[in-house]
Amino acid sequence: MNFFFFHLMPYPHLPDDFEKRYDSAWIDAPNTLFDPEKGHDLYNTYLDDLVFAEEVGFDGVCVNEHHQNAYGLMPSPNLFAAALARQTKRVKIAVIGNALPLYDPPTRVAEEYAIIDCISGGRLIAGMVVGGGPEYFSFSLNPTFAREKFNEALELVVKAWTTPGPFEFHGNHYRLRYVNPWPRPIQQPHPPIWIPGVGSLETMELVARNRWAYMGIPYFHLSVFERNFEFFRQACEKEGYTASPEQMGWLVPIYVGETDEQARKEFEPHVWYFARKLLKGINASPPGYTSVRSVVKIVESIDKFMLWCDTWQQIEEGSYVICGSPETVREKLEDHIERLGVGNVLGLFRLGSLPTESTRRSMTLFADEVMPKLRARFG
Amino acid sequence: MAAPEKHYVDVAGRKTQVTTAGDGPPLVYLHSALGEADWLPSFDVLAEHFTVHIPAHPGFADSEGLDEIRDIEDLAFHYDDLFAELHVERPHLVGQSLGGWIAAEYAVRWTEKVGKIVLIDAAGLRVEGAPVPDMWMTRPPELAELMFASKDHPLYQMMKAFQPDSPPPAEILVAFYGAQQATARVGWDPYLHNPKLERRLHRISRPTLVLWGEADRFVPVAHGERYAELIPGARLERVPDAGHLPVIERPDEVAKRVAAFLTP
Repeated sequence: MNFFFFHLMPYPHLPDDFEKRYDSAWIDAPNTLFDPEKGHDLYNTYLDDLVFAEEVGFDGVCVNEHHQNAYGLMPSPNLFAAALARQTKRVKIAVIGNALPLYDPPTRVAEEYAIIDCISGGRLIAGMVVGGGPEYFSFSLNPTFAREKFNEALELVVKAWTTPGPFEFHGNHYRLRYVNPWPRPIQQPHPPIWIPGVGSLETMELVARNRWAYMGIPYFHLSVFERNFEFFRQACEKEGYTASPEQMGWLVPIYVGETDEQARKEFEPHVWYFARKLLKGINASPPGYTSVRSVVKIVESIDKFMLWCDTWQQIEEGSYVICGSPETVREKLEDHIERLGVGNVLGLFRLGSLPTESTRRSMTLFADEVMPKLRARFG
Repeated sequence: MAAPEKHYVDVAGRKTQVTTAGDGPPLVYLHSALGEADWLPSFDVLAEHFTVHIPAHPGFADSEGLDEIRDIEDLAFHYDDLFAELHVERPHLVGQSLGGWIAAEYAVRWTEKVGKIVLIDAAGLRVEGAPVPDMWMTRPPELAELMFASKDHPLYQMMKAFQPDSPPPAEILVAFYGAQQATARVGWDPYLHNPKLERRLHRISRPTLVLWGEADRFVPVAHGERYAELIPGARLERVPDAGHLPVIERPDEVAKRVAAFLTP
């Protein structure tokens, strides 16, 4: 059982009436709302959070990539991973991930990941993502080519790590006459590859075929995760093997307080800040970004998405977040880990506008009182 | 007039849906991003004089082969192949919005293979000072306001009633999403235009009518003026009480004007 501390680096200083005045925290939310002075403080505090995660005993830390939004302030996660490669000594550094179609040519990803892997002494987990729907607006990148480009870029990056250079790569989107990235990653043949998904079968089959790891994209009702991990296990069976728990990761907001009551009191306002302000607009699904078939499937589970939750009861019932005393959090996680069959829990501890002190206290309680028991239970 | 017949044509391996009716010289109607590829009763007037073909672009309705369409030029070539397959010679091209853009792209390449041309609220150009709002960033209720002159059109009302958390039934959603995807394939970036089209328009040597909905707030009439200015001999006519989709909003009026222009 591995516990990761996942940071989104949210912008916590949006005006109170943000959701009334703006349609979205993405794409066109005016960047004048970002205060660079506060940004100085935020970035340093957030990096400290990640270092703190190692100190209290997490197995790994995660960063990710999003552009032009208030939800997550890491357009270039590799910058943070590079800083962490220097500032930490033990934890895995999971970049989940680089949005491959946004890198042209994507050999850039092979290079930067190899650097992080070298600096950290082989602690990188290489996440590869298609990029969120909003990113295709922010980059004016044709979403109808998203999957094609992602698949081709992924093939190129893996090939760049596994085939001695120089070689020629000739694809539909990327044509490179000399692929020969210096440096090469310290982990051979390449760092572990993690790929997140919302439930598209194509993604699961790709991950299953290559025996990589599949991450469930959060903010859905627990039943959506249950179904998706079940599909993933089936995809692995079709490839002739049984999925190991290490191949599956569940990303979920977690808050641990002294008591259930206190935890809710401390956490709930920040959950709503997150759900009502920061999630607004994340569901932008540009045309062709997912297959027509998948869109119908996603629309079917639209009422199981956190953005549409109105009450705390709904949030709790669907386990959109796990919040409570150490005992309650342990109990819920034990049940859910069992049900989902995952070997990686990726906890979002710094949700929305949650202050530093609460975040660190919750992380400490989790590391001291929840993790050991779950480790004893799941190994 | 015999009932319109829906049939399928193999275009270089792409299954293509075509609806055909009428008798006389060929007229091809190229539909907009809305995907109006079924027979419109108002076209009966045209079918009296012409053999009217309404193909669905790849990715629309039952037409397949979007994978091989990489940009707007591929659509122009697709239609050259389709015309050969249908054995139509020198068809009149009538296109609305996306369809008008395709007609223009076709005509700048093969003007000698075209009869007359009617561009209706055609996309395809970028005109400084007359931007086309982002159809994918604008929510359906606001898009309805930009596209329609009349507030009692059923499509206007459907778009106005759209709610993000209660999407339409799967069948409508699939058709809508398919149409959006096929449009985005050629129109996402550059956004609904081809930077090279403008300087090629002088190559069109066939009689051209530019029809524009007077109340089009989506592709402003400045685009119609630019087409009319750059296509030699082209004439611009405004359609009253119509927004971006005159064929949908004022079908009888459009059919009447198209018939008048095509039948000397």
